[in-house]
Amino acid sequence: MHEEQQRVMMNEAVAKLTSVCWDKCVTSVPGSKFSSSEYSCLTHCAKRYADMSMIIIKSTQSKK
Amino acid sequence: MDFSSPSPPMGSGQSPEALMEQVQAQLQQAYAEELIETLRGKCFDKCVTKPGSSLSSGESSCVSRCVDRYIEAMGIISRSLFSQQR
Repeated sequence: MHEEQQRVMMNEAVAKLTSVCWDKCVTSVPGSKFSSSEYSCLTHCAKRYADMSMIIIKSTQSKK
Repeated sequence: MDFSSPSPPMGSGQSPEALMEQVQAQLQQAYAEELIETLRGKCFDKCVTKPGSSLSSGESSCVSRCVDRYIEAMGIISRSLFSQQR
């Protein structure tokens, strides 16, 4: 069951991040493949979002 | 996603494994519905900028590419999130 819950959380993270990163990175009409700048934006996006998330958590903890 | 196998009603004394399978099938269905809803929103935004009296062939092919690209983006995000290297 624990494994299943992990899988659910992962799927939801991917769904949410794809939505956010699509809006940020795919600014023009979708083509038959991603441009190299769209592709690198997408590959960076998830990790930068995770980095930012850490900063937010640390920053809110230090303010307690 | 395979919805072809029939499932017994919930709580009819089935094994934990069968119950788990049912849970997973329902989850898959929920994910599929969520994805379709997301695709509707994203692709309408990108492809149908000024709704006319019908969908042009340009708009239709845009939507088709949009779906392909979005699913590709899900794979990129997924690999990026869950790969070990920085």
